[in-house]
Amino acid sequence: MPNYGSVWVAFVLLGISAINTQAKIASTVPQQVSLSANFFTQQLSISWLGGEATTFDLIILRTEFNETVFYDTVSAVVNQDGGQHQWTWTSVEPLECTSLSVKVRSREGKTKSEWSEPQILEGRDLPSNSDSSMFPQDRTVPVGANTTFCCIVEEGKDFKSILYGSTAMNVKRLSRRSYATTAVNQNMSGQTGTNVVCLSNDPTRLSGTVIFVGYPPLPSKFECETRDLIRAVCQWEEGQGTNLFRKRATRYSVNERDCPERQRCTLSHWDGNWTLLAVNLLGQYSLTDSAELSHRVHPVAPVKLTPVAHAWNATVLWEWTYSSYSSLALVCQVELASHNTTLGNFSGVGLRSAVLLDLQPDEEYKVQVRCGSQKNFWKWGDWSKALSFKTKPYVPDAPDVWMWMNRDNTGLVVWKPLTRQQSHGQIVGYKVTLWNSEGNEQHTEILSPENTVLPVNLTRWASFSGDNKVIATVIAKNVEGMSQPASVLLRLIDDEPPALAQTVYTSTGFPLSWQHNDNSTCGYLVEWCNALCMRDCPVDWIRLDAGNTNISVQSANFQPGVRYNFSLYGYPSDFPVLMHRWQGYMQELAPSSSVSLEITQQGCDVVLTWEEIPLAGRRGFLLGYNVYISNGSQLTRLANLDLGTRTYTTKGLSVSIHKFTVKAYTSAGEDTGGTASIRLESCADGVILEILASLGVVTLLLATVAYFCFKKRRWVKKAFYPDIPEPKLPGDWFRTQGPLDVKPPTHSMVHIIEKPERDSSKDALVVIPEEEEDDGEGIGDEPVDTDEPQSLRYYNQVVDERPIRPRFPDSSVSSSSSVDSGNTDVTYTGIQTSCSSLVFRSDSQSSSEGFQPHTGFSVSSGDRGGGYQPQMQPVALGGNLASPEPLVEPQVVGSGGYKPQSSWLLDSPTETDEKISPPPSLGSPTSVASTQFLLPDREEHEEERRQPSSSAAAWFTNLLSSAKP
Amino acid sequence: MAEQEEQQQPLTASDSPVPGSTRTGRAVALARLLHHECTQLLQLYKERETFLLDHAPDDGRMVSLSPEAEEPSTEEQVQLLHSALRQCLGLLHCVIQKEDEEWGKLESDYETLKENVQTRLEHLLHSTKDLVGDEDGTLEVTPNHQCNEEVDGAGGTFGLKMWIYRVLLELIHWADHAAKTLHVLHTEREGTAEI
Repeated sequence: MPNYGSVWVAFVLLGISAINTQAKIASTVPQQVSLSANFFTQQLSISWLGGEATTFDLIILRTEFNETVFYDTVSAVVNQDGGQHQWTWTSVEPLECTSLSVKVRSREGKTKSEWSEPQILEGRDLPSNSDSSMFPQDRTVPVGANTTFCCIVEEGKDFKSILYGSTAMNVKRLSRRSYATTAVNQNMSGQTGTNVVCLSNDPTRLSGTVIFVGYPPLPSKFECETRDLIRAVCQWEEGQGTNLFRKRATRYSVNERDCPERQRCTLSHWDGNWTLLAVNLLGQYSLTDSAELSHRVHPVAPVKLTPVAHAWNATVLWEWTYSSYSSLALVCQVELASHNTTLGNFSGVGLRSAVLLDLQPDEEYKVQVRCGSQKNFWKWGDWSKALSFKTKPYVPDAPDVWMWMNRDNTGLVVWKPLTRQQSHGQIVGYKVTLWNSEGNEQHTEILSPENTVLPVNLTRWASFSGDNKVIATVIAKNVEGMSQPASVLLRLIDDEPPALAQTVYTSTGFPLSWQHNDNSTCGYLVEWCNALCMRDCPVDWIRLDAGNTNISVQSANFQPGVRYNFSLYGYPSDFPVLMHRWQGYMQELAPSSSVSLEITQQGCDVVLTWEEIPLAGRRGFLLGYNVYISNGSQLTRLANLDLGTRTYTTKGLSVSIHKFTVKAYTSAGEDTGGTASIRLESCADGVILEILASLGVVTLLLATVAYFCFKKRRWVKKAFYPDIPEPKLPGDWFRTQGPLDVKPPTHSMVHIIEKPERDSSKDALVVIPEEEEDDGEGIGDEPVDTDEPQSLRYYNQVVDERPIRPRFPDSSVSSSSSVDSGNTDVTYTGIQTSCSSLVFRSDSQSSSEGFQPHTGFSVSSGDRGGGYQPQMQPVALGGNLASPEPLVEPQVVGSGGYKPQSSWLLDSPTETDEKISPPPSLGSPTSVASTQFLLPDREEHEEERRQPSSSAAAWFTNLLSSAKP
Repeated sequence: MAEQEEQQQPLTASDSPVPGSTRTGRAVALARLLHHECTQLLQLYKERETFLLDHAPDDGRMVSLSPEAEEPSTEEQVQLLHSALRQCLGLLHCVIQKEDEEWGKLESDYETLKENVQTRLEHLLHSTKDLVGDEDGTLEVTPNHQCNEEVDGAGGTFGLKMWIYRVLLELIHWADHAAKTLHVLHTEREGTAEI
């Protein structure tokens, strides 16, 4: 048991001892506390001797206000040399802002020593520093950082505010004279930094600081190369701007050699590996590069370029700055610029020249050269300075020749002026030769260079009128000589031109297309000119290869509102063949001229008529016409007419003044319009005219019926007037009578000269076939011997001043003609006389004796009583039914019809007697000198009396009589 | 308009002499032009350093004169003026140098006007030297400032800005002083106050 007690006591003592030991350790107050401040980094390094303790309590207070800034338990690092503990604290505020007191105590668990004596880091706000000041000064911080500033006001002055730039800041008071503020997330400052100013109640005293807000360096694209095949030239890009300048700017070094040049560094030898280090106040950045020298050859620019120029090629020579290039395999690029720019590649070891081919003669060129390493190409070297040279001139190309031929064998030989690329030098003139294929005619003209047209007149060329060809040959001349001749065959292209198709202009020109013609193996030519041009036209053209079947014709000379004709020629042989034609407008416009409007009144209607607008005034394809009537200042459209209609009738207008406007229109709109006015008169006259017209129509109808009846008189006669057998008288009455020995009067032989249908255009007589005479219904059966000079002939006379050629009459025709014209002179007698006398009379038709126009009837040369009238011979009536003149000589009229000789009145009646006591004509003797029946028919006479004015009926009766054979 | 007309004047008064004008008259005009351009330069400076807009320092003159005589004559005053202008030119050179060291080239208008003021000041120095008849060659026209000392007690960039501000104010003061002094000389010599 005593052992147990001693053990217990021992444990208690041990525990007490341990506790005592711990208490001894914790109770060791840190000694030799010292402070070391880094004002730039705002760090305070605290060191002390703390015995065996490993943890310490640390407290930092602002001395004046005894405010705790920091309090924590830390495990301080033990300095092996002196056994001192050390701990570093970073202050938010600059350490100069105010005095800080630092105290330390040891801690073991919950056991802690007494605080050490406070160590004070004096601020700049001590009374001994009475001036105003601000901290930190000239700080450089990255964009987005927070910075705390403090202002120590001058002794005796009152703090007012702190401005960050122009912004008043929130302020925390640190001590009696010290005030702090924090700028958070700072933006990039200006070139001279951002001013932070402390204002007090003394406006003449300012304290402040400047802060620079920027970025750390961030270079890129670091690479090294050689220009002289010895040194290394390293280059890089700076990347984003740091916003820090001059002494705050980024410093660069390559392989620890400073690089004062901007973005490049030249090293005297080829290291093969390089490191770029970029450093500024906010940080540093490094890049590396490595390469063999032969892989990084960047040639310098060639120098001293020299040209050796010819007409079609040139050689460019150059030199190198470094002799080491002579063994370097180079590939060089030659840029050749004239009207366009081309690039050519040339290669070779130490290349110093290049031959430039396919140049244009007499052309200015500008050439530049740059090279690169052919093996392990790195990059193209610098361009040399540009070298200008001019190639030598050469004979010109043959001109492009075409022609324009007028209808009168005059025309133009035209050719296109040679371009600079074609002339190969200054053109001094043209030689134009006209010659025929046989070579026996030739004409040459020398023209100055500004000429591109030669008028030609081929009417004097004998060969031109024949099948031989006239050829125009044009030769251009420059200082070097003459071009190849260019020829065109001159011949009027008199083929029937194909119809003009329309082509619509597009943004690329007039589209023309055609079917491929296998015969046009030599190609095509499209020609165009102003459609208004008719003579010596300024034609333009373009040649196409045989394979083309379309083209879009574009020209700077195309004008809006002008119609252009396009012609496609094929070349199946040496002469062009017109294949297609088009016409079109670059832009259609409204017509520039208006229709010429004529206005007339027809009855109650108004008729508008107009002519087409001339082509020059159309300025587009006419689509039609709009007819307007004017209502005061407004136009009311009456009609829209198509292009073919150029008349318009308006009905139902009131009796007043009316104004009409007709406007032609194209797809671009209407013209200004042609205007005409009319005062509409009362249209009663129109009714009369209508009546007259109706009467005319009726008359014409009757005439037609009469003509029909005449033509069918046999049928009519059979139907209505059958033959009456000859009377059978007892005895040889007829024979005993014997032929009347009557001498015909001088003009007893009558030919009816029928006026033929008058052809207004020819105004000539139509010969009637002789056979028709036999077919005549009256004369053919008449026992008339045409060889007998005494026979009765029948003529119609044509109203013509020319001598009348004798013609064979056709009774039917004459009859119809007589109906139509009324010009037929009918002589009807049984007594014949000589033909010559008739002819003479006929020739002297101007004589009133031989010709009685328009008087209806003419009987036997006007000698009414002097002729024989056969019984059955009808009187041909020449009366014009339309003639207003009354029928004359009623005794003549009444002589138609069958009149038996034996029926007569005992006494020759006189006119008075006839009127008083019309005797029956039957059996009446007939006077040989009279065309009237000696025994006039009483009934008929009475009929005439009943209808003295009904000439048409009488004519119809006579017509039927004359139809008797 | 008046400012534009003045700006269009040549940099040296002797480049295009005004017909009938005198040397003193041209010197007065040159001093007035310098004063105007110094004022413009300060205006541009304040537009960049806005905290100076309402600030009026009372630090006294940077350039001071110590006349030997109690009441110096006008010619003596011009000689003193010449000395002060030399110091001003030295200060301006120092401003140009330090600004370039600190920030490099600044806005073009400010840089151009700064160069103009420098040239104008140099020509005014030549003019004042000619006016006082420097037979013994004691008057210098080179800047009288070494620019190798601290620019201001406060130090730092803020101190530099304040110092530049004071230099610009000094330039304005002495340009104005030059215009007045030379006008007095002109009046004495020409018998008229008109330029």
